[in-house]
Amino acid sequence: MSGRPKESRISRTAATALMVLLALYFLLPLYFLIVAATKPQADLVSTFGLWFSHFDLVGNLRTLLAQRDGIFGRWALNSVIYAVVGAAIGTLISALCGYALAKFRFRGRNFLFSVILGGVLVPGTALALPLFLLFSATGIVDTYLAVLLPSVVSPFGVYLARIFANAAVPDELIESARLDGAGEFRTFFSVSFRLMTPSLVTVFLFQFVGIWNNFFLPLVMLQRESLFPITLGLYEWNGQASRASLLQGSVITGSLVSIVPLIIVFILLQRFWRTGLAAGSIK
Amino acid sequence: MTTHPAREGRRLRGGGPRGGTVVAFLTPFFLPFALFYLVPVGYALWQSFRVIRRTGGQFGHAYTTFGGFDQYAQVFRNSEFGASLGRVALFGIVQVPVMLFVALIMALLLDTPLLRIKSFFRIAAFMPYAVPGVIAAIMWSFLYSPQLSPIVDLLNGIGLRPDFLGPGAVLWSAANISTWLWTGYNMLIMFSALQSIPQELYEAAKIDGASNWAVAWRIKVPIIAPSIILTTVFSIIGTLQLYAEPAVLRQISSNISSTFTPNMLAYAVASGNNYQQAAAISVTIAVITFVLSFGFMKLTAKRAGL
Amino acid sequence: MPAASIWEEDMSIVARRIRLAGAAFTALAGVAALTACSSSSSPGSTSDAASCKPAGGTVTLQYWNTVPGMDQIVALWNQKNPTIKVEIKNVSNDQYGQIGNALKAGTAPELAQVGYDELANLRIQDAFVDASACTDATAAKDKFVPWTWSQTSFGGTGVFAMPQDTGPMALFVRSDIFQKHGVAIPKTWDEYAAAAQKLHAADPNLTITFFDPNNAEWFNGLLWQNSARMYQYADNKWQVTVDSTQSQQVAEYWQKLIAAKLVRTDLANTSPPMYAAYEKNQVATYVGAAWAYGMFRDNLPKQAGEWTIVPMPTWGSNPASGDWGGSTVAFMKGNKHLYESVKFNVWLNSDPEAVALENKQGLYPASLAGLQLPALSAGVPYYDNEKIFDVFADSSKNIDTNFAWGPTQKTVNLALQDAMAKAAAGNGTLRDALKAAQDKALSSMKDQAIPAVAG
Repeated sequence: MSGRPKESRISRTAATALMVLLALYFLLPLYFLIVAATKPQADLVSTFGLWFSHFDLVGNLRTLLAQRDGIFGRWALNSVIYAVVGAAIGTLISALCGYALAKFRFRGRNFLFSVILGGVLVPGTALALPLFLLFSATGIVDTYLAVLLPSVVSPFGVYLARIFANAAVPDELIESARLDGAGEFRTFFSVSFRLMTPSLVTVFLFQFVGIWNNFFLPLVMLQRESLFPITLGLYEWNGQASRASLLQGSVITGSLVSIVPLIIVFILLQRFWRTGLAAGSIK
Repeated sequence: MTTHPAREGRRLRGGGPRGGTVVAFLTPFFLPFALFYLVPVGYALWQSFRVIRRTGGQFGHAYTTFGGFDQYAQVFRNSEFGASLGRVALFGIVQVPVMLFVALIMALLLDTPLLRIKSFFRIAAFMPYAVPGVIAAIMWSFLYSPQLSPIVDLLNGIGLRPDFLGPGAVLWSAANISTWLWTGYNMLIMFSALQSIPQELYEAAKIDGASNWAVAWRIKVPIIAPSIILTTVFSIIGTLQLYAEPAVLRQISSNISSTFTPNMLAYAVASGNNYQQAAAISVTIAVITFVLSFGFMKLTAKRAGL
Repeated sequence: MPAASIWEEDMSIVARRIRLAGAAFTALAGVAALTACSSSSSPGSTSDAASCKPAGGTVTLQYWNTVPGMDQIVALWNQKNPTIKVEIKNVSNDQYGQIGNALKAGTAPELAQVGYDELANLRIQDAFVDASACTDATAAKDKFVPWTWSQTSFGGTGVFAMPQDTGPMALFVRSDIFQKHGVAIPKTWDEYAAAAQKLHAADPNLTITFFDPNNAEWFNGLLWQNSARMYQYADNKWQVTVDSTQSQQVAEYWQKLIAAKLVRTDLANTSPPMYAAYEKNQVATYVGAAWAYGMFRDNLPKQAGEWTIVPMPTWGSNPASGDWGGSTVAFMKGNKHLYESVKFNVWLNSDPEAVALENKQGLYPASLAGLQLPALSAGVPYYDNEKIFDVFADSSKNIDTNFAWGPTQKTVNLALQDAMAKAAAGNGTLRDALKAAQDKALSSMKDQAIPAVAG
């Protein structure tokens, strides 16, 4: 204990107070959403926003799922498809590429890696309109592929995979597998992939969240409601809610429903986030 | 697998896998990358050098032809483009430093023994990252709406009449949404960097009796400077792409025009069917983003003494 | 000792290799250019009317619209016509964005609801098919109100759409509020301004109406009433007069009301806050179209009997009225079932049974048969059993038939709205907004190579 500067009571209280205030700031809208989602439509305007009135979450959920012929369920399914399929494929190809960039020596390796880094700097929204122009000229707009295909590409995933490959897979292991005559793919899938699995979960999660939250790409690409992810669907309803006030309650309930799964995943899989962010920031 | 006779020391195999195998590992990524990152940029670039012409008459047929830099001249002549750029610049100059400063303070505080229940604060700060930007904007739009918002109710109760959706305030209301969304994420990046600082570095300072704040500012911050730079660069990039938050606020406020941000302008122009002009705007935004983010990095890399 | 992060090292690699990357991009751009060569269309001949042959089997038609409840009428048709199956899709969210994207992608429906003010805009993108080869189509001309037919045929002989409904404007009045404050219901705009003053003086919480800056369509209707013809065609060119003297007169009138705070600018048309304001007796009139009559009935049931509908205030003794909204059902590019589409379209918009059902949804018919509907000559209970549709019928007789919409109307509307929002917030005037719209009309037409001059 010697040598540690004393933290005064005041410092501790001040720090705690500040963090509590900030925590309130971050949690307030979520709390409001929960409260609002339990209220019947009419009470939204007439009762105080931060406390419950007549508790009717089940009723609101029923209305939500029945709204406009049950399209919300379809939107939820679409979000899952885009995010799971996109992130799964994306993680696999990022892993293969990152691994090769980390472990194989070949000409142009540095060049390709700098291309990846350049890609990391390019935000998805900058590509959405150019992609739309290209896709509409080739007729793929308004299909699942229009959103899925661009979503599997994640330069940041390759970047992370390369770091994880370097960190998790010792060169000696690969060498000995080569000496034993195993092909590269076999080595990758039977040895390296297993070693990289925990970190690849991080890559998957990052990409999953990125696709799940993606808005501008589906906005630009999709016209048919049946293909919308939740983000786009709720945005559309919110725009109509100013004319059809009955939609407002469903927008609120739908927003809550769209957040809960992701928050649960986050809390349960905290450690993967910390690993990933640590790797990305300091390495 | 055949067993190998005892090896004498390490045998260096020259080169590793064959070229074909390397290509096989790289192609699954680089092919989609080329198709969905590079080709669209190339296509947009190509479209941006074309202009629309018509066969004449009241409803003449349209066709496109090479137009040189006409579309780009149009972008720079367009006062709406300048205005939208000015808006995001103003937004960025204020919102990014504020957000990163708060994130830094939070990260530093979490890295000291000053706080109990640290995991609660960490989780609370990170929750917004789990919320899609559009949903966050919708949630906050309820909190800004005079009819629904308990905040407005409370402020009215003490005599204030805030107008979060008014012409002067609406930009900052959008900025608040971005701050809410990203502070926790940025804080965690900085916090992770702090956590990996070896304890020995603190020993010397503590023996000298340095206070927590001196330790923080003189030792910790410089060490995690790269992660601060990283978060700044990504924040700059994100700010220039601003679309979702103002688009949602536009659904309830008439103080957000259809061309409020550069991306909204590009989208509006594309909806007006001038794809060539929209392409030029997109390319211009991308170039500006790249120049600013890359420039910032080069600037600070030198300053940070790296 | 701060160690250089791998990130920093990586970024310097980028700096060194950026030229190589640039070369790669350029090469790929070249590839993209070659592959995309075919996307530019060459100048072709003007469209001829497409052929009109029955398909001879079962046909499915896609019909995009924004009117809720239209599915009932479509269901009725499907019942009666099993060989011509119509699938309806609601495109209320970004209707024209969706239609535009679909046209570009080649996935446009056979029929789509298009507002009158968007017809020119879409025609300029080759969005329509001329159905005049179908005798049923050209014969339908006599079934509709003349000004609507001239807009769907662009003053010519082509048949690009069937008019569906119109929005003749009138003044919706809370007669109880006027009575309470002893103010006579105004007949001219001058009287309206005077009434605005009296009402606001009597009750500071009361304004005579609200000005929604995000409603270019409404404002255009007011301009229409004053014979402000924004677009005319002469000399092979569009003549653009968005800020004509007549337009300016309307703009100045409303600017005075806004400046004197006699009208509210914080309410959006048909929004919950708007209904709340009427419910709290804070607004005394509504300058609206025929299709709005159901709005108050459905959202403010307690005010039954307190609303009345009178002709729109006039400019002096000129009885002209304006139209706000209304739509057509257009034959979209790529329609391969013109014969069946025409059959459905004509039925949808002129068959008495169909039109009666649509009228129940709040549509004021563009068809002459529709105007004869019994429902339209009955008194409406909500409005104190008045025959409100007589007012609208008179109004539609006085609508200027020479009013035309521009080929970049959507863009101009957006620019007008952006500028009106600024004016409503005190930053500029409505006349500035007209100027902005005029400039935008000329520049957007120039961008699209549409021949235009300031008229």
